[in-house]
Amino acid sequence: MAAPMTEGPDPAALEAWAGDEEQATKPEEPSLSAGEWLSRNLFSSAVNSLLTVVFSLLLVLVLRGLLNFMFSEERTWRAVKTNMRFLFTHAYPQSQYARIWVCIGVIAVLSGLSVGLLARTGGGISMKKLSMNLMAAGALIALGILLREPSAAVGADGRAIHRSGAEARGDSFVDWLDANALTVLGLLVLANVLLAAWFHHRGTYLQVATEPRVAHGVLVLASLGVLIGQQYATGEVVRESFAEAMADRAWWWLAAVVLVGAGAALWAGLGDARRRNTFVPAMYVFFAGAGLMVLSAWVYPWGHYAFLEGEFIAEPGSTVAMTTKLPWTVIWILLVATFELGRAIKGTRVGPRLRVPLNLLWVMTPFVLYWAVLRDPDLDWAHVMSTDIPMAVFFAVFGGLVVWYLAHPRIGETGRVVAVGLLLVAVLNWVAAFFGWYPMLQKARISFLLLAVVAMLAHNFAGDRSQRMKLVAAWVAAMAVFHWLVTLVNSPSTVDTPTDALIGGFGITLIVAVFTLLLSFPLGVLLALARTSKLPIFRVLSTAYIEVFRGVPLITLLFFFTLIFNLFLPQNMTLVDIAGATIGFSLFSAAYLAENVRGGLQAVRRGQYEASDAVGFTTVQRTLFIVLPQALRVSIPPLVGQVIATFKETSLLAVVGIFDFLRIADKVISAQSEFLGVKREGLLFVSFVYWIFAYNMSKYSQRLEKRLGVGER
Amino acid sequence: MSVSDATTALTEELAARDDMIVCEGVNKWFGDFQALDGITAVIKEREVVVVLGPSGSGKSTWIRCINRLEAHQEGRIVIDGVELTNDLRNIEKIRSEVGMVFQQFNLFPHLTVLDNITMAPIWVRKKPKREAEELARSLLERVGIPEQAEKYPGQLSGGQQQRVAIARALAMEPRIMLFDEPTSALDPEMIKEVLDVMKELALSGMTMMVVTHEMGFAREVADRVIFMEDGQIVETGTPEHFFTNPVEERTKLFLSQIL
Repeated sequence: MAAPMTEGPDPAALEAWAGDEEQATKPEEPSLSAGEWLSRNLFSSAVNSLLTVVFSLLLVLVLRGLLNFMFSEERTWRAVKTNMRFLFTHAYPQSQYARIWVCIGVIAVLSGLSVGLLARTGGGISMKKLSMNLMAAGALIALGILLREPSAAVGADGRAIHRSGAEARGDSFVDWLDANALTVLGLLVLANVLLAAWFHHRGTYLQVATEPRVAHGVLVLASLGVLIGQQYATGEVVRESFAEAMADRAWWWLAAVVLVGAGAALWAGLGDARRRNTFVPAMYVFFAGAGLMVLSAWVYPWGHYAFLEGEFIAEPGSTVAMTTKLPWTVIWILLVATFELGRAIKGTRVGPRLRVPLNLLWVMTPFVLYWAVLRDPDLDWAHVMSTDIPMAVFFAVFGGLVVWYLAHPRIGETGRVVAVGLLLVAVLNWVAAFFGWYPMLQKARISFLLLAVVAMLAHNFAGDRSQRMKLVAAWVAAMAVFHWLVTLVNSPSTVDTPTDALIGGFGITLIVAVFTLLLSFPLGVLLALARTSKLPIFRVLSTAYIEVFRGVPLITLLFFFTLIFNLFLPQNMTLVDIAGATIGFSLFSAAYLAENVRGGLQAVRRGQYEASDAVGFTTVQRTLFIVLPQALRVSIPPLVGQVIATFKETSLLAVVGIFDFLRIADKVISAQSEFLGVKREGLLFVSFVYWIFAYNMSKYSQRLEKRLGVGER
Repeated sequence: MSVSDATTALTEELAARDDMIVCEGVNKWFGDFQALDGITAVIKEREVVVVLGPSGSGKSTWIRCINRLEAHQEGRIVIDGVELTNDLRNIEKIRSEVGMVFQQFNLFPHLTVLDNITMAPIWVRKKPKREAEELARSLLERVGIPEQAEKYPGQLSGGQQQRVAIARALAMEPRIMLFDEPTSALDPEMIKEVLDVMKELALSGMTMMVVTHEMGFAREVADRVIFMEDGQIVETGTPEHFFTNPVEERTKLFLSQIL
């Protein structure tokens, strides 16, 4: 148990303490000036100075390479712009695109509300950090502008000017620099070494004096100058002069100046104390960034590029198409409005009550969006009325009565007998299906089995009238959702796509990742519990499962479930590729999740088990109320790691022939007549999008950890 | 009145009461090590028994056997007329009759104080939530910390945590309370607040079995003191008898070391 008066691990308590915008003032170290900061962190000793110099030069070299790659004349970024919708949704019909916007809108509303409700009132990003980040971003852009290769000079005919071989070996200083860059850079680094040795010899480094810092600074700037100057060597293609290149990059200069200026204004406008103690909610910074992007769609000439009905559209001068910028603007407004709404109702009586429904909505959303909105089921209403609804009502009423009866506090032995009886019937239904004794719809079998499981567990949740009513309500709701979902899944779709899959590109990546998560998480938790169970049969089964699925390469599982599994199914049954792939991913990911959760289970102290036993909890109650909440809290970091891994592994969909994000960039775009062989741009873009998502997930997990106080106990 | 007369009087008075805990020849081994060696004792209704002994003498093992946190291997343990066997239903019944307070408090860190206390009445005793919360608030009043109901265990001091743990055990309305070194993990200035709660509980007529090193508590509150060593009961008697006139050599040695 924690020492007396340590910080509680609970989010609500932490929120209560962090109630004020201005945080409590603690004794603070005085701010370091930039020079002192450099001395202490980058130039603290001779060796550290050399490491700083060498690695910053390497960094600049990598940056230069990346910039030259991205902005080279050979790049056809138009391929990415033109195929934007293709990359994100593949062949989803343009006429039905409103559905996609509805989906994004729903997610925006849910996110805004959730984040608004959960957001801590105090805290966020300090003005100091914000202004420093703004200035750093501006400085980085400025460095990029300087480092980038200038474009080729264009002659009167609009083509790049070439020179002959003899001429190409120019005799200007820049050409000499280009030829001897390596030598010059080597000499400059050597000078740094000698400088460091000399200052070290004199003992000046120990006092962290100004001179060594300045001297190194001059040499580093000189090296940077070499790296920039080298870019203006002409070679065979005549390049723009420095002035022309800078004029071409006026928009970028503007961006850099605005960023640095805004940062500097913030820095100078606020005193040291206010800089540190004024906070902006992190979401506002995000909203501002997103808002600028949306605004730029209305004002900046990004150009309008599209691939519609077999035709390539390219209008370089215009702004983004109305069908893109209008929905995004609406979504931005929805996001901000719902965030503010969430914040506003957080303090009221409604706020805390919204949390549970909101979480349930999050679980339901993927099903509703995919099956009801994107697919738009073509329901056979006669069948729905004659079969689906009566069956759902039957199970709701019959099961409700059973639950009501079994949740009686003094049901005792009779209840267990009834529950076991139900389980026997449920198992019999499946055996009958196997031997074909009597026909029954599959969902009736599943419903019956669910009822039997609930009946077995009911005595754990028995209670007074209102408690029993809650259980019955939960059962009825579960049946309604389950039967509705099965009906949706079994109905044909009204949305026609040329491929088997309804949607492709990033859409399918997200859908497979989300459904994998929804399937594998419960499975992983169950496996972890089974592996730590007292019953040997559970332990053996779970261990065998985990070891087998961790030992098999993921790609073989995917091939098995997309290609081979169908051979084992009854004749009139097939598993669609996406469903198969999702099952493969889920089974694989569950094995890893189980190990992570098991780690969390082991971190729960023995005293917690003893205390639960001592107050008389049953094993199920102990697990659900005491052990799992603590175990899952501890295992958040590895669980999020697993989620990120799963998200990235979805790119294997490309290998089993599904048109996912990666495959479109890699195979589809490069086969278009307009962009034959153009691959690199797409791949770079895909990596960037994956990174944005993975990075944000990892950031979110860090915040979650902090809020739940993992690592504080 | 001599000490032996007092003992006789007490024995007669106790004989009239119901047996709450009966142990007959209880043996327990951890591997080859015998932790309990032929423990035979009867604890009557409303009796407060303090178990003393050097560390490793089997006190805690014994008290943990009484609500089956540890299983004994030989002998009989009967709690309020129900024998502890491997039958799960008996164990569940006994656990809901017997409250236990641990050395390390073992509060549930992810639940508020109120939830810590109401959880078991609601889910085990099947009490309506409102009733359970009323009970919990009155118990917090009784242990002297009604204002801490909404906090989390981590925000409380050790003494407060242990008082919450007592309230949690009492919320099950047990007939017997077991205390396994309830003050050993506490800072000295917090011990008194916990002992006061236990005293009040003893005066209210609760059957209590307390493993402790607090001699003051034993002297003042206990009806009977049991001294254990090496898994055996060495000596049993009233506090007066035990602290002023012990018979066994080993008891004398123990008392000379700690008093």
